[in-house]
Amino acid sequence: MWFRTPGGDLLLDYIPVLVHFVIVVGLTAALPALHALVGGSRPTPPKMEPYESGVWTIGSTRERVPIRYYLIAMLFILFDIETVFLFPWAVVYRRLGAFGLIEMLVFVGVLGAGLIYAWKRGALEWE
Amino acid sequence: MGTLAAFFILSAVTLIPAVVVVTSKNIVRSALALVPTFFGITGLYILLRAEFVAGIQVLIYAGAITVLILFVIMLTEGGTGIRIRQVNEQVPVGALASAVLAALLIWVFLRTPWPQGPGALPEYTAAQIGTTLLSSMVLVFEVTSLVLLISLIGAIIIARRER
Amino acid sequence: MPIPIEDLWSLVPEFWLAALGLLLVLLDLFLPGDRKRLVGWAAVVGLLLVLMPILGMLGTPARTVFFNTYAVDGFAVFFKIIAVVATILVILSTMDALRGHTSFEGEMYVLLTFAALGVCLMAASADLILLALSIEFVSLSSYVMAGYFKSDLRSNEAGIKYFLFGAASSAVMIYGFSILYGLTGETNLYAIADRVRTAPQPALVLAVGMALAGLGFKVSMVPFHQWTPDVYEGAPTPVAAFLAVASKAAGFAALVRFLMVAIEPGPVDWVAPIAGLSAVSMTLGNLLALPQRNIKRMLAYSSISHAGFLLMGVAAHRGDFGAPGLLIYLLAYTFTNLGAFFVAIAVGGRLGSDEIPSYAGLAQRSAGLAAVMALFMLSLTGIPPTGGFLGKFYIFGAAVNNGLLWLAVVAVINSVVALYYYVNVIRVMYLLPAPSGGSASGPVPLRLALGVAALGTLVIGIFPQPFVTLVGAAAMLLRM
Repeated sequence: MWFRTPGGDLLLDYIPVLVHFVIVVGLTAALPALHALVGGSRPTPPKMEPYESGVWTIGSTRERVPIRYYLIAMLFILFDIETVFLFPWAVVYRRLGAFGLIEMLVFVGVLGAGLIYAWKRGALEWE
Repeated sequence: MGTLAAFFILSAVTLIPAVVVVTSKNIVRSALALVPTFFGITGLYILLRAEFVAGIQVLIYAGAITVLILFVIMLTEGGTGIRIRQVNEQVPVGALASAVLAALLIWVFLRTPWPQGPGALPEYTAAQIGTTLLSSMVLVFEVTSLVLLISLIGAIIIARRER
Repeated sequence: MPIPIEDLWSLVPEFWLAALGLLLVLLDLFLPGDRKRLVGWAAVVGLLLVLMPILGMLGTPARTVFFNTYAVDGFAVFFKIIAVVATILVILSTMDALRGHTSFEGEMYVLLTFAALGVCLMAASADLILLALSIEFVSLSSYVMAGYFKSDLRSNEAGIKYFLFGAASSAVMIYGFSILYGLTGETNLYAIADRVRTAPQPALVLAVGMALAGLGFKVSMVPFHQWTPDVYEGAPTPVAAFLAVASKAAGFAALVRFLMVAIEPGPVDWVAPIAGLSAVSMTLGNLLALPQRNIKRMLAYSSISHAGFLLMGVAAHRGDFGAPGLLIYLLAYTFTNLGAFFVAIAVGGRLGSDEIPSYAGLAQRSAGLAAVMALFMLSLTGIPPTGGFLGKFYIFGAAVNNGLLWLAVVAVINSVVALYYYVNVIRVMYLLPAPSGGSASGPVPLRLALGVAALGTLVIGIFPQPFVTLVGAAAMLLRM
């Protein structure tokens, strides 16, 4: 995305992305289709079992997962968003100088307090 | 011309899965249908020369938010298995309200002579966003960190077991 | 563009509140489970200290700082005072209300402190982006606080309901803001004010309407009020008090600044719809309050109706009475409504019931509690010599002054209707016999909060002069 030629046509710049996208979608559609066409199908009961690395499936595969997963995902998103704010700062931090650094330190410091909180509250542990 | 065609294709990519999101009886399918919608929006951002926002859209929405939604479905009792009804008996009223609102918005937007400012687009939007965020929008920037902090605390309060 | 250092001095209260919040987060972590009360006291002390810089800014000339994104004027200072005072009182009332319901006591004080900061930011934002962000700031902490009692289904319902309504109305509001940006090319309220005259009409009306949806949700204006009774009933009572007072005040601050700074110079006639919504809000709120048996639901509908009265002050903004009336009404309403909720906390904590019939004979069981509750009910009705009367007096005067006589008539009729359900509480407390013994006075911090609320309600009514001067200064500075 960052290779745009100055003054060039935007759409032309994105043609590689488009080609990539078409190949990805085409391939993911073509491979199963090819398999269905030439592979044939002879189902037997063991083949219909969910594949669990050779171990028999125990219980339902649709178990409820613990809320820990949600917490981890939520923490991930929050710090993901933090990095989003780091990117534009990193691009211009030389130009912004000390002020930019202080501003970013305050930003990261506030989230650091959040990290300490999450840590001490045991949100990072898989109890 | 090419831009217009791209716009219509991207709009279709955005809207068709969006309809699946709100109509599908399988909630996992609904969640996954969000992914092409997010990608369509990414394309629209690129058309608007907002490349940084487009990158963020892929990173946060198509990546993280979708995963979070899938986790939330897995938290619910039998959430991945049940066939859900997304609509209730008020479908006609809701449809009417949406149709009227959409017609109103389209009518207003078509009639409005949108003012267009002069000026060139920045070469690298990320740099421009960085400069703006850390100078004229610095308050927004710092308050964002506080909003993220209370979101974190709130998520832990809601999700952690009472001791 | 380096940041002008002298601007930092104008943000001392906000920095202080943010630092206080962070400090409380850490303090909460290192205190053992049975000493969490200390976090609350630390918050109270910190908030009392922040009143000093805020009061010190009362006389400073109105200006905007930080590249015009933030307004420093009497109007903002006034709302900061309301936010901090209300938060102090709510924290005092929270101290015993959480026991046995949650193990996250310390976090509640943290969230309340940050919410107070959010209210300050909402009142002073002069930029649509900052405004939207600070509204989200207040909302996010409120969603968590509303659903704080995780084992209580009603609290869960309150949290979810508030979140769904809030998220939807925020989305509509931000869409409206984006249209406004498209029309004017600016996000700054003062810059929009310069451009709004030439903005194309129908789209501008649409944008203002959509923005009103989000702000109307915050102040529980009809038709964006449906969440109010369920959330107030289900949320922990101190949180309901915070939502009814601080969050509503912040909504009005944002609404007034948005309409009067950015939209007023333009061609959109917003006074007529606001006046209409004001009449509908006060009437609907009152009529639905009449049959309520639960004190929190009754106060919720009454808060919808008070939103209607306050909107009357917004509609009648021209002249010498409108804006000061709105502010003095809000000030009196802050103390009065907080007090009413605090009595509900005291009674609910002792009797375990929020039903109005369980207030029977409160006068014999706890004379002081019944007396202050009677005072709050009279002030909510608007009977002299309470603060509520002064607020109503100003707002009615403003309506007549602005040629909104019909609205004033509707408001008078509504005040008479409101008398019925407010006085009903007094009747139950004083005339019905107590079903069983046992006094119902609250713990010390709660009694302290109640005392301050009662004192505030009375003093505003009896010695109005300093407050009239204060709101006069606050309203004068509004438009720079």
